[in-house]
Amino acid sequence: MLKIETTHDSNFTTLHLIGEVDASNSIELDEQITGLVESGAKKILVDGTKLEYISSAGLGVFMSYIEDFQENEISLVIYGLNERVYQVFRILGLDQLIKIKSDKEEALRV
Amino acid sequence: MLKLPNLNIGKISLLVAIMTWLALLFVDITRLFGKINQLDSSIAPEISYILQIIFFIMVYLFFHHSIQKSEKSNFLDLIWRGASTGLLATVVSLLISLFYYMLGDSRLASDPILKNVFYHIDFGFITLFLVSCTLLWKHLILYQKNKRIVNQWQGFEVGLLISMFFVFFNQNSLDYSFLFGLGVLVIFGISLSVNLKWIPYLTFKEKWKSILYLVVILISSSYLFIQILSYSSSLTPYLNLTDNLFLLALFAFVFIYSLFSFLVTLFNLPTSSVFEQKLVEAINFQRLSQSIKPGQNENQVLDILMDSCMSAAYVDAAWMEILDVKGNRNVIHQRFIGNKERKELQKLIEETKPFSDFIWDSKLNDSKTFIGKLTDFKYKSAMIIPLVIHKKTLGKIYLVKEVKDGFNKEMTNIIATFVGQACISVENYRLLNEALKNERYKEELQIAQRVQRSLLPSKLHHDDSFQIHGFSEAADEVGGDYYETQALGEGKYAIIIGDVSGKGTSAAFNMSQMKGVFHSLVQLNPSPSEFLIKANSALSHCLERNHFITTSYYVLDTVAQEITYSRAGHCPTLFFKAKENASEYLSIDGMGLGVLRSKLYEKYVHQKVVSYEPGDIMILFTDGIIEAKNQSGEEFGYERLKKSVNGSHELTASQIQQKIIEDMYEFIGSSSLPDDDYSLLVIKFLQKPQ
Repeated sequence: MLKIETTHDSNFTTLHLIGEVDASNSIELDEQITGLVESGAKKILVDGTKLEYISSAGLGVFMSYIEDFQENEISLVIYGLNERVYQVFRILGLDQLIKIKSDKEEALRV
Repeated sequence: MLKLPNLNIGKISLLVAIMTWLALLFVDITRLFGKINQLDSSIAPEISYILQIIFFIMVYLFFHHSIQKSEKSNFLDLIWRGASTGLLATVVSLLISLFYYMLGDSRLASDPILKNVFYHIDFGFITLFLVSCTLLWKHLILYQKNKRIVNQWQGFEVGLLISMFFVFFNQNSLDYSFLFGLGVLVIFGISLSVNLKWIPYLTFKEKWKSILYLVVILISSSYLFIQILSYSSSLTPYLNLTDNLFLLALFAFVFIYSLFSFLVTLFNLPTSSVFEQKLVEAINFQRLSQSIKPGQNENQVLDILMDSCMSAAYVDAAWMEILDVKGNRNVIHQRFIGNKERKELQKLIEETKPFSDFIWDSKLNDSKTFIGKLTDFKYKSAMIIPLVIHKKTLGKIYLVKEVKDGFNKEMTNIIATFVGQACISVENYRLLNEALKNERYKEELQIAQRVQRSLLPSKLHHDDSFQIHGFSEAADEVGGDYYETQALGEGKYAIIIGDVSGKGTSAAFNMSQMKGVFHSLVQLNPSPSEFLIKANSALSHCLERNHFITTSYYVLDTVAQEITYSRAGHCPTLFFKAKENASEYLSIDGMGLGVLRSKLYEKYVHQKVVSYEPGDIMILFTDGIIEAKNQSGEEFGYERLKKSVNGSHELTASQIQQKIIEDMYEFIGSSSLPDDDYSLLVIKFLQKPQ
């Protein structure tokens, strides 16, 4: 089960991921991010404090935006991941391409 | 060659009957003529009797045949045939009486020969009427036959046959033996006449018609009987044909059965609508229970259900509310009520007890009915029946009546049964559709699974200096786990383990691409980092945008006793050091193949070397093992894997593999099957043989 909540602040948008991202609902996440890009968001924060699990399909979603975001100068920062989920990002090497911070303050400083 | 002509019993028996009747007429008139003119004619009455018996039998055969031919005709047609023959016989008899009435006192009126001719005509028609009716009654009596009734009827027929010959015995005089014979046959006839099972199957209208026909038969037979009596009292000079035991017995039987039928039909009239209703309900039930045929949909079943419920409870208006996929309430099958009126009524019903107790989400709606009073101006009582499939309420039926307390127990029961059956039909239909869909999906999966399994090697390359054992198990879906080895020569071996992101067919195909890449590149004998860089650039062109492959590549040098390795996003390798009796995960940075599809990828590839000694163990695995969860959602994790290996390091490679899988199964518990696939490669280094 995955629930995605979006909050808009003056200069950034936050996606709150609640639950688990797996093959069945990774499309939802993909649609949400695409929607933000289309609406012209330049700074996207992903709140992972309530993210309990992410499968390879979920990682694939983040991975697929890396080059797009670099080209279009959109910044995406993930924060608040628990240790287990962070390890999943780290093992794949995504931590080297995506900014992953421990909390919101740090994420905002980027 | 002698060829038998196709005999038509009906026609022949009719022909013989007519001829016998003519012969009988001729014989009797000749005798009478002789008597009148006091000639010594020696025609014995026995000749007439024999001819009479032949006539009876032929008429019997004729009607037996003609009724059997019209086997399919309904009860009403049969009774009408009896009534029409009765009418014919009566009309003929009346015409004869009229003829004599018009003759008045003329000489012709008292001519015995003419009178005798008419007597024979009357006799013939009465026989026709009685025999045809008897056979029609036979048909009705044997409508729902069992052995007992058939035997009884056959006994009756034998009795009738004997009664034909009785005439030789007593010359048609009314003595005690005659009365005894008649008594026996009448009692027989009465006992047969209680078989009236065909009557309930008549509709109300048909019952009225049959009553009319039966009255005709009753009047005809009464009139003809009186006619016979008048003949027998005034007929002294002629041979008496009609005071025959056979004929009188038939009279009695035809009359009694008609009377019984008449009375029973008459008293059945008021209850016939109930029987008709039950019949309709039975048919409706059958229609509902037939599973929905291809090309039809649930709606047709619900349509039949509405009709059935409405006719079962004589309701004045009804509608059905169905939840659609999104949970919206849609009103369908609205009957005898307008939209506006229905909305108001529905609002009223939902606010009234006990209907307000209805809860959509309740799991106990199955076979529940809500019946109560309404305070509406027009409708006084209402009933709500939820439609439940698999404890899920998918809709409800509203039935309203203009009378108070309009729903009795029988109605409620039959409606509940209808609803239950309709729900089963709808459920079966849905299950069937689902099964068909699943079947297609399964077939596709099976192909993918076959592809995937054929990609895993059946044999792993090694020499005497190390054991290697592989294990891979896919969850119910196709996964993308992959491992393979290749001998590079000079005691060197390439080993790869990988995991393709995603599941299903696409994972299996990506895995086959990975296998292709491995077999192409391994020919070039690349270092692990070279392998990953080249594999990344090859796969960048063929992987979908959001797909990647994690892998670890090892070159095992058995001469130098060292392993060179690189990791591309794959789970770290577990390495057991025998000397230290402890295991560690080999840490090295890396990035999954396809994550970064440019030259920049090279920056993220690293390569390390680790040397080994005999007794050391290397465990290559995929994340399915680490992420296997138990019932409380806890993962098997890296630490448990470590512990499992530490505890089994003395075993052979294949035993270690079994131990790890056993430990993992024990951890997750047998009830919850892992939803990922997991693969394992155990390599154990041995003392090199000298």
